[in-house]
Amino acid sequence: MLWTPVRSWLRATLRRSRMENEMDAELRFHLEEYAEDLMRGGVPRQEAMRRARLEFGGIERIKEEVREARGVTFLDQLIQDLRYGARMFRKSPGFTAVAVLTLALGIGANTAIFSVVNAVLLSPLPYTDANRLMLVKEVLPNTGPEPFNVSGPDISQIEKLNHVFEGVGGFRVWTYEFFGKGEPDRVVADRVNSSLFDVLGVQPIMGRAFTPQEEQFGHQVVILSYGLWQRQFGGERDILGQTVSLDRKPYTIVGVMPQSFVFPLPGMLQGVAADLWVPLGLSKEELADFGDNFSYTVVGRLKPTVHPSQVNADLQLVAQGVLHTYEVWASEAHMSPMGDFRLGMVSMPMRDEVIGPLKPMLMMLLGAVGFVLLIACVNVANLLMMRAVGRQKEMAVRLAIGAGRFRLVRQFLVEGMLLAFTGGGLGLVFAVWVKQALAVRMPANIPQFHAVELDWRVLLFSFLLATMAGLAFSVWPILWASRTDFNPSLQESGRGNSQGPDHQRVRAAFVVIEVALSVMLLVGAGLLVRSFQRVLNTNQGFRPENVLTASIDLPPAEYSRDSLVDSFYRQLMETLRHAPGIAAAAGSTDLPLLGGWTHAFTAEGYQPPLPSGLSLCNHSVIYGDYLQTMGIPLLRGRYFTEQDGPKSTHVLIVSESLAKKYWPGQDPLGKRLKWGPPDSQDPWLTVVGVVGDVKQGALDAATDPHTYEPYAQLGSMPSLRIAVRGQADPASLTAEVRSAVWGLDRQLALGSVRTMDQVISRSTESRRFNLSLLSSFAALALILAAIGIYAVLAYSVTKRTHEIGVRMALGARGGDVLRLVLGQGLRVTAIGIVFGVAGALGLTRFLRSLLYEVQSTDPPTFAAVLLLLVVVSVAASYLPARRAARVDPMVALRYE
Amino acid sequence: MDKQLDLLQGTLDMLILKAVSLGPLHGYGVLLRIQQISKDRLEIQQGSLYPALYRLEHQGWISSEWGESENKRKAKYYRLTAAGKRRLQTEAEKWNRMADLIAGILGTKPEEV
Repeated sequence: MLWTPVRSWLRATLRRSRMENEMDAELRFHLEEYAEDLMRGGVPRQEAMRRARLEFGGIERIKEEVREARGVTFLDQLIQDLRYGARMFRKSPGFTAVAVLTLALGIGANTAIFSVVNAVLLSPLPYTDANRLMLVKEVLPNTGPEPFNVSGPDISQIEKLNHVFEGVGGFRVWTYEFFGKGEPDRVVADRVNSSLFDVLGVQPIMGRAFTPQEEQFGHQVVILSYGLWQRQFGGERDILGQTVSLDRKPYTIVGVMPQSFVFPLPGMLQGVAADLWVPLGLSKEELADFGDNFSYTVVGRLKPTVHPSQVNADLQLVAQGVLHTYEVWASEAHMSPMGDFRLGMVSMPMRDEVIGPLKPMLMMLLGAVGFVLLIACVNVANLLMMRAVGRQKEMAVRLAIGAGRFRLVRQFLVEGMLLAFTGGGLGLVFAVWVKQALAVRMPANIPQFHAVELDWRVLLFSFLLATMAGLAFSVWPILWASRTDFNPSLQESGRGNSQGPDHQRVRAAFVVIEVALSVMLLVGAGLLVRSFQRVLNTNQGFRPENVLTASIDLPPAEYSRDSLVDSFYRQLMETLRHAPGIAAAAGSTDLPLLGGWTHAFTAEGYQPPLPSGLSLCNHSVIYGDYLQTMGIPLLRGRYFTEQDGPKSTHVLIVSESLAKKYWPGQDPLGKRLKWGPPDSQDPWLTVVGVVGDVKQGALDAATDPHTYEPYAQLGSMPSLRIAVRGQADPASLTAEVRSAVWGLDRQLALGSVRTMDQVISRSTESRRFNLSLLSSFAALALILAAIGIYAVLAYSVTKRTHEIGVRMALGARGGDVLRLVLGQGLRVTAIGIVFGVAGALGLTRFLRSLLYEVQSTDPPTFAAVLLLLVVVSVAASYLPARRAARVDPMVALRYE
Repeated sequence: MDKQLDLLQGTLDMLILKAVSLGPLHGYGVLLRIQQISKDRLEIQQGSLYPALYRLEHQGWISSEWGESENKRKAKYYRLTAAGKRRLQTEAEKWNRMADLIAGILGTKPEEV
């Protein structure tokens, strides 16, 4: 029953012209038959035809009714409206171009940003049924509430004791010197338990996963990532069973993982995607490290029947069980009992850890780009309003010849939608281009496991956006058209000044909205710019120019004795120092901006505010003239010398902030410090120098106290970062460093070769990304607002030509008129600024996490934005104002 | 009765259904058939037939096809569908009930109240 009308409508629509012909034929048949009947009754032909038509009734009206009856009218009229709308747009190409471009920019920018949000925030992690993956963390209630990762021996305990996971995967991030076919390479490896791949729901594309036996210590098998397989073996098919060398030990390749498999993800512990995977193989020492060394990550897959909220309760029991095992292990190993050591466990969705930190930034961008679209819509609404007023006569004529108000409203709606979808279509093109630009600049902390694509969700999003935009900016002309009495415009000579003050006020309100939104965006962008400047200007504490760094990890198998390690570094530094282009070469366990280990220490004579409080600092062991090479300035005392060795007094250099905090107002030189709590048995170290503070974490992180100890005093550190200062471009030193290293050991892999400038730019990359996007949006907003101001004033000047002419005829000068129009523009801008500042004060709170050393109410930023807007507003008002000032009163008065 | 009656609102559809239920007809034929049955006592504006015919076809109560008229011209013929037959039946029943009811009410004498 229901589908008959549908079918008939469809048929009617598809064969519209045929139906039209048939209808004509049918009606003609009727008329002719009737006329013939009349003629048979003796009426003359002419008269018969006339009467037939007369008695039939108004043929066009009947045709219209027939069309309506068969249900195509709506579409017919729609097509008519569309054609009409398109014709109107073609007639005013300038207006159309501005409106369509404005919308294209708005919708395109939104689509592009949404495609990133879609790929990052809305898509599941790239594992099978990834929403059921949970991370397990351990909590040490004695130290504080924040969760740690997991202690190695606990992985198998969690696996055994829990009731909520169908599988428990565990891994630890590791690095190896890799030697296969090509050049030695430093690779990131995960040591994984045998269940991890199952838990993630991934299988090797070639070969197999690890067996539970291989999980035990000493099994030298390896699974390659797709990338490493391509890079090192050129994708060779028969590599299973071949061996590669990891830290100079042979490992047999047993599998290759799929190309799509990225693990671990950014945001997870040391989130660097692994190049290869080896079995977990906990050594005897690592197994004895229970309740310590929380460097292992545990991933559990929820049983289908378990709800995430049930996990923590079960983990509490697991933690108790683990603690119990600790006691058993401790007594077996004749270690001291665990005492008041307490252990808790919590879980969180894996997704939260990976995606959570990105949310504020992406939401900020989405919000900002939404503002841009809003401004674009207001602009177009404004333009449409002006046009609508210019079309009063047309409206009046249409109403007079019988169009309903509904038809007029629909005409506006159809035109609005036509604009919106043309803009949206062009916006998609723009979005593709922006998306490509974004993909290149995407900072590394945004996981790119799903390509940023314009998939159906993104397309749906922009479709909805265009629809909403179309509705939004059609509303005003529609409201206006359904209220206005058009009759006067027919009677009038057509100067079209019948637009009431209301109408003018609505458009002024539009400009106010635009200005207000622009202020908010500009303030946001301004705050980010200020933060970025602050970050770049922070005293990083070292001189990055011309410094190249690399990391060296000597494999313990080959460098089994301290003397071998020591002589390697001695020879390496010697070679480097004499290499062409190198001014200085040294080493350290940690480099600035790349993090480091925190150590607990006791400063002589310092009373912590809390008796149990631990003093913590970053600690680096440095080789040679590292401080000089890195350009870290000496403030007091001396640098280390050749004389500082294992046999002399043990010495230490501290950072300025450490000296100030622990020995305030005293001479730090000669003060002593030791590792561990006050009762530790470690020897005292004597401070011989104070150096400047260095940013050890990110540039925008706090500066921590830092200590340096000479390599010679401790001896034998197989892992060092080396730093060389060149005379010129440090990147060109890479070859020198490589050949120096390979001259000593052909198999040794150099890791993380980069200049300090690269380190800095990587550390600011995410900030730069946010900043460049937000400022582009703000700039776009400003341009749109300027167009808005200009359009409103230009239009109003045209409309007021007559009035201006009268004023000038009565003695007003050009300057007066100029001031009049400029004043009008500035007034509207000022109101917009007031609202914008209020809005910005409310909204910038959400930016706080992205700011650095700048208040969200930073007065200079607000002041600069205000100034900018006033300047832009004057500039946008100036052209119309000048035009007004040049009005010739004689011409104006004649102007009708 | 000399004077022609205006068609009651909504009854044209029923009359058309009745007319074509007696055999396929073209639009002009429907008009003639109704006039014939009503003995010319109904005033039907000729043109108003067509929107009604299209509406009924759109509802699926009648179907149409092109054929040849008595004097060998192309004409569009309408016939009743099964759904139309049911529709005519219910409409007729409804109409008769209503007519009885109205007649009953109008025929009421004062003493019956």
